[in-house]
Amino acid sequence: MDPVERTELSILSEIGRISNSAEDLTRKLQRIIEVVMLGMGREGASVFLLDPSGQNVTLVAAAGLNQETVGRLKFPLGRGIAGWVAEQKVPLALADPYSDPRFQYVPESGIGRFKSLLAAPIMDEDRCLGVIFVLSAETWSAQSAEITLLTTIANQVSGVIRSTRLFQDIQDRLAELSTIYQIGMALNSTLDLDQLLGLVARNTTQALRAQGCTIRLVNLPDAGAARPNLPETYISEGVQELDARLGGRMLARTMGDKRPLLVADTSRDPGFQDLSGLPPCSLISVPLIFHDRVIGVITLYNKEDGQPFSEADLQFLTTIANGAAVAIENAAMFERVDHLANEARNRAQEFSILYDVGTAMSATLNLDRLLRIILTAATMGGTGLGFNRAILLLTNERSHVLQGMMGVGPSSWDEANQAWTEVARKHKSLMEWIQTGELFESKDTEFNALARSIRVPLEPGGGVLAQTVLDKQAFNITNAAPDHRVRLDIGAMLKVNSFATVPLVAKGRVIGVILVDNLFTQRPITDHDMRFLTMFAHQAALTIDNAVIHSNMETMNRDIRAMHEQVAQSEKMAALGAMMAEITHEIRNPLVSIGGFTRRLAGKVTDPDAKKYIDIILGEVERLEGIIHDNLAYIKNVKPQFSRAPLNAVVEEVLAVYEDELHQRGIRIERDLADGLPELEMDPQQMKQAIVNLITNAMEAMEGGGILTIRTLPLADSRESAMEIKDTGPGVSPEAMHNLFNPYYTTKVRGTGLGLPITHRIIKKHKGTLVFRNRESGGALFTIRLPWPQEKK
Amino acid sequence: MKKILVVDDEENICKLYKEEFEEMGFEVTVVLDGSSALAAIEKSRYDLVTLDMRMKGMDGIETLRKMKERDAHLPIIISSAYEEYKNDFGSWASDAYIVKSSDTAALRDTVKKILG
Repeated sequence: MDPVERTELSILSEIGRISNSAEDLTRKLQRIIEVVMLGMGREGASVFLLDPSGQNVTLVAAAGLNQETVGRLKFPLGRGIAGWVAEQKVPLALADPYSDPRFQYVPESGIGRFKSLLAAPIMDEDRCLGVIFVLSAETWSAQSAEITLLTTIANQVSGVIRSTRLFQDIQDRLAELSTIYQIGMALNSTLDLDQLLGLVARNTTQALRAQGCTIRLVNLPDAGAARPNLPETYISEGVQELDARLGGRMLARTMGDKRPLLVADTSRDPGFQDLSGLPPCSLISVPLIFHDRVIGVITLYNKEDGQPFSEADLQFLTTIANGAAVAIENAAMFERVDHLANEARNRAQEFSILYDVGTAMSATLNLDRLLRIILTAATMGGTGLGFNRAILLLTNERSHVLQGMMGVGPSSWDEANQAWTEVARKHKSLMEWIQTGELFESKDTEFNALARSIRVPLEPGGGVLAQTVLDKQAFNITNAAPDHRVRLDIGAMLKVNSFATVPLVAKGRVIGVILVDNLFTQRPITDHDMRFLTMFAHQAALTIDNAVIHSNMETMNRDIRAMHEQVAQSEKMAALGAMMAEITHEIRNPLVSIGGFTRRLAGKVTDPDAKKYIDIILGEVERLEGIIHDNLAYIKNVKPQFSRAPLNAVVEEVLAVYEDELHQRGIRIERDLADGLPELEMDPQQMKQAIVNLITNAMEAMEGGGILTIRTLPLADSRESAMEIKDTGPGVSPEAMHNLFNPYYTTKVRGTGLGLPITHRIIKKHKGTLVFRNRESGGALFTIRLPWPQEKK
Repeated sequence: MKKILVVDDEENICKLYKEEFEEMGFEVTVVLDGSSALAAIEKSRYDLVTLDMRMKGMDGIETLRKMKERDAHLPIIISSAYEEYKNDFGSWASDAYIVKSSDTAALRDTVKKILG
């Protein structure tokens, strides 16, 4: 074996050994050129590799050259010896390269120490991977055997590069799969959408060694409605500024194409030319697709090593995006279901409250009680709506004002704490509270008085309360002070800065307003509160409306009943009157006979006993005739014969007749007759009758004696004369008082019961009034008022 | 002796008036209805008639009217249990209107005044 063959074998076997080592490609190439340099007895060697782009060859390993140029020394394909060999794919031996026009001298590489070189292409089939050099410090014309040797070595190196790259690919692929697996695990680890977006973004950024990532979600199932605060965008730190300028554009393009998008360099992409002042960026963007629907876009910005993103990166991101889309959709769905479940739970709670309140409300038609139930429900925590205070106002359609009806709520912090602690302690439901005595029961609370003092005219500019009625709209006033809708007095009155009003609408008509506030807890009134309050108000309004209608109907019924009774009474009285007249006449004839013959008998009898009996008969007959006369006078309704007469004289005349009898009964008369009363237009006979009836009445009331006071006085203001007749008897019972002026009603054992009705009728015919009342000191007081005559001009 | 005709469908009233007037020195005839009263003044001359108002058959107003047609100067005193005939202008042709009472003083006074 000649020395060249031996050398060849030893070099190739050494390369084979290096090839099987676990070192990376650069390290392997470095060791290989050192073996080749020494084996071939020369002073330098190097390897250039063709970039993936196929545009340049780059120095990747060097011996005897300046190590600092490794990785930096580059030649475009076709330029320099390395570029020429890579392009021509043929070996080249130059004894004096400095005189060759293809040679490019790069002094800092340290090539200057060498005089001759030999280069061979590293071929993989017909593709060139790079170039291997052997450098000689002495002038050297390489022999053909040496050229063949380097070509063989180059083939060997090609195998090393291929196997190492293959191994690297497998390693990368494994790493990628491992990343995808980890991301997949992460995606399945949570159903929280916020967390999920963070996980996807962080893992993807890390796996692709990118600067940052954004994820934008669109068209999630009912995302807007079900979850108003859904985080539709995730932007990792450090790329906010980039995203602000590029995010929307990438989203639009990716969404539109529904395809992954790779922008290697924004400065060279026509779609980004209009962006000024932006450093060149590399971007990849992939749609998140679920069931053919784009639910979002994931975008990565700039690789950390400054390289542009590759197709492999895009492929990787697409794989991740497919998994992420499913996970995001699941999470969004879960959130929606969870939200709906929550919503359903809240609704159920609300309906349970409304049901309770409805049941309680329907249990009464008493308006006052109903309002209390409504306001208690509005202010109860737990099973109620939980506002601190509530006021109910009702509209008065006739006077066109909104009137405060009732306020429920504590007047102070202490009272609030006490009441609410009690509620919490007893764990009572609204129904139980309503059934057993109510919260803040006492009606004379300060707050209730305040509520009842509210009176707002229903006109534009009447403030938020009036506006609630006029606009049929709820208001949530969050800052009363500068709010022009709030009349200053209402805000100041309630001492709150925020409150809410809601109209009570029944059958399309606003019948009132509920006002609520949270003075003590200062809890803001939310949209949800408003929605629930509106529902509550709707129900309350219908119940109030029913109660009002019911109450009106009751009043109407009562009036109708009273009218019926009155009519029936009048008819009864008329029939009774007619019957009485007939009976009276029928009785009068026999009485005339009895009395007439008895008188005749009196003249013929001398026995004193018989005379006494005759007197008794005559007395009784006269009494009966008196009754008949009264009866007929009432029934017949005699027209008065008017003339001018002094009232005092009429009184004196009556008293003169009755003085003895009153005295005998132990009744003292007290006169208090005013001087200078004008003469009155009257029928003196009838007036006497009227006074007699009142005196008789008083006399009979004072069976054991007493004082009868008769007083006359002028009432100059109303141009009347008054007469009072007072007794010291027991007065009149409430039942009797009701029937005082009704004919045929009497509490007396004897008598017609016509005395007072006749007096009443006589006074009425004189255009006067007769008023009765029980005196506080006991006894009855009748007051007659008679008008003075019109002055003739 | 002056003659008085008492017209009343109450027998006891007739009897009472007859006794009272006879005691005053008059001759008294009694009839119980309006038709009998008219027949009586056809048959005989009377100086005074007392006439009830409410009677079976011909009532007092009708009887009064027919008597006055027959003899406008015949004095007639209405003696009735009813006060309201006073308002009936048919009764205004009478010379006096006395409401019946067990105390006949007012009636006797009126009779005395008319018959002098």
